[in-house]
Order: sequence, then structure tokens, then C-alpha cells
Amino acid sequence: MKKISIIAVCIGALAMTACSDIKRKPGRAYMPDMADSRAVETYTDPRTLQDKNINYTGNPVAGTVSRGEEVIYKMLKDTTGSYGPAASMKNPLPRLDTVALVEAERLYLINCGICHGGKLDGNGPLYKDGTGPYPAAPKNFMSDDMKKMTDGTYFHSVTYGKGMMGSYAAQLSPKQRWMVIHYIRSKQGVGAGEAPAAADSTATAAK
Amino acid sequence: MIDYRRIAKRLVISILLLTVVCFDQQIFAQDGKALFQQNCASCHAVHKDLTGPKLAGIEERVPDKKLLHDWIRNNQAVLKSGNKYFNDLYQQYNKAAMNLFPNLTDAEIDAILAYVKVQEANVPGAKGNPKTDQDAKATSSDNTLLFGILTLILAIIVFTLLQVNANLKRLSDEKEGVPAYEPVPFWRNKAYIALVAVILFVIGGYYTIQGAIGLGRSKDYQPEQPIYYSHKVHAGTNQINCLYCHGGAQEGRHANIPSLNTCMNCHMAITSYSGEDLYREDGTKVDGTAEIQKIYKHTGWDPDQQKYANEPKPVEWVKIHNLPDHVYFSHAQHVNAGRVACQTCHGEIQNMNEVYQFSDLSMGWCINCHRETKVKFTENKFYSIYEKFHNEIKNGTLDSVTVEKIGGTECQKCHY
Repeated sequence: MKKISIIAVCIGALAMTACSDIKRKPGRAYMPDMADSRAVETYTDPRTLQDKNINYTGNPVAGTVSRGEEVIYKMLKDTTGSYGPAASMKNPLPRLDTVALVEAERLYLINCGICHGGKLDGNGPLYKDGTGPYPAAPKNFMSDDMKKMTDGTYFHSVTYGKGMMGSYAAQLSPKQRWMVIHYIRSKQGVGAGEAPAAADSTATAAK
Repeated sequence: MIDYRRIAKRLVISILLLTVVCFDQQIFAQDGKALFQQNCASCHAVHKDLTGPKLAGIEERVPDKKLLHDWIRNNQAVLKSGNKYFNDLYQQYNKAAMNLFPNLTDAEIDAILAYVKVQEANVPGAKGNPKTDQDAKATSSDNTLLFGILTLILAIIVFTLLQVNANLKRLSDEKEGVPAYEPVPFWRNKAYIALVAVILFVIGGYYTIQGAIGLGRSKDYQPEQPIYYSHKVHAGTNQINCLYCHGGAQEGRHANIPSLNTCMNCHMAITSYSGEDLYREDGTKVDGTAEIQKIYKHTGWDPDQQKYANEPKPVEWVKIHNLPDHVYFSHAQHVNAGRVACQTCHGEIQNMNEVYQFSDLSMGWCINCHRETKVKFTENKFYSIYEKFHNEIKNGTLDSVTVEKIGGTECQKCHY
């Protein structure tokens, strides 16, 4: 009787510890021949390619333009900090229709809103009047100096970053960047009455 | 009489004066805060070096008040005048030019400096540590253990009661003179043996089949990552959109692992963690600040010099969700056309400190979802080519279209 209860307790304890384990290993597979790719997959360590005599560098050649890119921007980062040369650039996109404006708003809220705020007041969830984790105050787009700032300066700042803000070139394509700038402008009420004269400015930007 | 009146008058006046002075000072400090937030806070913090140096102790570093005012209004002029302290500072901060503030009055600058002075005393970091997280965890794991022990105790009680019952029956039989059988110990009792065999067979069979089905799937897989990146802190507490980092999900097959420059967008400035305590699944505490420092090691960023000074090396994240090579899956199709929320397949990722595989990613799971999910047919242009269904919806003969109806369960949709 006693023996039995001891054994039962032991088995119970064993079962319980086996259940509560955290699964740190992916587990086993049965005949995974068709599950593992023979071709090189995304995020394969390039060093494994070197062993196979495949020369691969993850970086594109300088000046590479992605396929299907509509807006090409060649100006290099402004090291003086004034962002002057970019200031004269015009937005190559025509004014956004309502569908495109919704898309631009979506892009703004994903990429910019966390700092600059959903209301463009420079008070996103990362800053929260200085109580959030982000120590620097994001720019308030509704302030006068930001309303006065030119489209080109906006674009250059988004492309290369400014102050504590990083570059968003990897997250937003040039076209998306211009769309977001259109969205900010429409919220600011700046340049809303501008005629959609796009053809010539596209040409200058594409040079 | 006159004396009293005079005293009362004086008292009223002095109280008025006092309130005015107090009130005035309050406005003063408030003004300083607003001015600081508006003009300075983008590049300067009180306790932390950002684009520009921290402002705590600025009046000790630059005792000359006029020089400080000149610097704040027009730093370029001060630099040109060859002031050594400011020129050194300019070099130290990688020649980041400070904006000009010619319109700030002396009073406004003093208000900002007063605000900085007040803030100097509030050193951040000294916060109470909320322990609720761990307590909650402890109780939840305690519960399962409790239930297990309870079940076990109940089973033992049932077992002893049965034994007692048998003994009592034997005793009463003896009393009544019913001839007693040779008592059979329960481990040789055929009924018991059969019962145990059946239970073992069922349990063993269940686990064997579950194990066999689970081969090659890795539900609940929760590997330890090289950096303790908490989705709960980023996507939950700080409300960062999934697509901010995993923007590839709307562009192509893979929801990309963000490159480190995405991390640096925020972590160039956020150098330490001061939120709720974090724990690994095994219960050990996480030093959030040390985990953030790991990014700098990988990117080669030197926080002291504020530039990328060292050799970068990639972070070797452990991939959790693996689909077999013989199935095609595109995130873009599900995110853009299907408008499926990330959480449908990945679980409540905004509440996960360490991510685990929420779905088993089996074919049955895919097919089941394709059979049950009703596509957003009318409001999405992507489906405009299905004219027959659109007509049927208009006629009222069809109320909804599942993914299966538009070919979502055809073999060739995913296997080709």
C-alpha cells in the first residue's frame, strides 16, 4: 500500500515536470527531405555560401536603383546640417486623391506617428509629454517653423535623418516618402491650394 | 479702530502680493517648460546627451551669463568669435550645428534655464520596481501544480476507500458466516489489471499519436534569442505598429526581420530601459539596459562618441516560424488582399515577452482557415474579377464568399 502510493506520487511528479517545460527546441521531424530547401533561402548565413565558393555580398552596388522605382533621389547627405541644397526640391507627386491620402495616412501612422503623434503634434506614444521612453521631443508638425519648412527639407530629413531621428530610407520608398509629405502638408493646411503641376518637377527630380 | 483697519489693509495687501509672487513664479516655471519643449527638447535633454549635450549644470559650465545668452541666440557668431569651450563642444558633437534662436528674449532664456535648474533635481531612474508580473506568473504556475496534486490526492482517497470497502465486506462476510474466498491482492486481481492495462493503452496511444502528429511541427517553440527583445514592451506598451519593423509583410513573401538601423531609429536616443521588470520564461530577471547595449555592440555604434566607430556584426536571430519548402506562402497576399491581422496566425504577440509559435502551421490549420474565413469581398478591389459571385451577392443567393470558394483549397494554390 505504502509502496504503491510512493510510486504513484513519483509518477505524478514526473508527469507534471514534463508538462511545464518551456519548449526551447523546435522538436523532431520525420523524413524532412522535402521540407528543407536545397536552394539558398532568405536569411541564410552568407558565410555558409563562402564555403561553397559562392561569392555573395549583401550590399547592393553604390547607386543601385530598385526595380519599378518611380522617384529617384540622388542627393547625398548634407553634412553641414543646414539641409540647404535640398530645400528647393519640389514634391514630384501630384496632389493625392482620397484613396491615396488614406494610404499616406496609414504610412504616416505606422512610421511617423509613434513619435510625431497621430495628431502631428509631436506627442506620440513614445514621447507622451516627456513621460515616454524617448528622451528627445519630436518635432511638432503643427508649429509655425515646421509649416514654413520646405518639402525638400522634409524629404531630405526623412531620407537621411536629422538630429536624433534616424533615416527612413529603408522603411519608406521615395514615392511613399513624398506621399507622407503630402499627407503632412494637407494636415498642416500648407500648399493645399497648389495646382497639381507635376510633370516638370518629376523631370527635375529624376535627373 | 484706525489701527485695526491699517493692519487689516496691510495684511490683505501682503497676502495679495504673496499670491501674486507665487502665482507669478508658477507661470514662470510653466513658461520655461513650454519654451524648453518647443525650442530645445528636440536636441537637448536635462539628464542625457542627445544631439546636443545634456543641460544639467549648464550654468556651472558656462558661468558667464551674457555669453550663454549669446550662444543660445546665435551660436554661429560665438563659434566665429573663437570661444574655446564652445568650439571644443562643437567638435565633440560631430559639428552638429545648433539652430539659431534670435527671437528669444532674455526673460524667456532665463525661464528655460530656471526650468532646467528645477529639473536637475529630478534624477530619473529611481523608481519602485513593480513585482506584479512575477507574482502573477508564480500564481498561474502554482495553479496547475495545485490541480495536479488535488487530482492525485483524490485518486489515492478513491483507492483507499475501495480497499476499505473490500476489507469491511470481508469482515461482514466472516460475521455472517459466508465462506470467505482467499483474499486476492489487487495487483493480481484480474479486474484491476485489465483496468490498468486499458488506461495505460489509452494514455500511451494518445501520446504516441500526438507525438507522431507533432513530428515536423513545432507549436509552442520558444527559443532563446541572442537579444532579449520583448514584443510586449515594443508593440504592447509603446504601441509600435507591427509593420514599422516588419514592413516586408506588406511587400513580399517574408515578414522581414528588421535590420539594425530600424532598431537604431529609436535606440540611438533610448539607451536604457526603465519600465516594468522583465523576466525570461525560466524566471531569471532581464537587464533591459544591457540588452539595449547589445544593439550597439552589433551595429558598432559608440554611444560616447555618438557615431558608428566599430566593426558591425549581424545578430543571429533564431527563426521560429518555419514552413516546409514544398509549400508557398506569401505574407503580402494575406496582409494586403486578405487583410488578415498579424495576431490571427501569430497570437497575441503584443503580450509576448518572448515569442513562441502560436499556431502549429500544419496543412489542416491552413485549410481550416481557408474554409472558414469569409473574404472581405465587396470592399476590396482585389476580388473584383469574381463577377459571378458579385452578381450572386447582389441577387441575394449568396451571403458570403469563403477563401475556399475562390480557389483557396486548390492544391496548386500553395504546392507548385
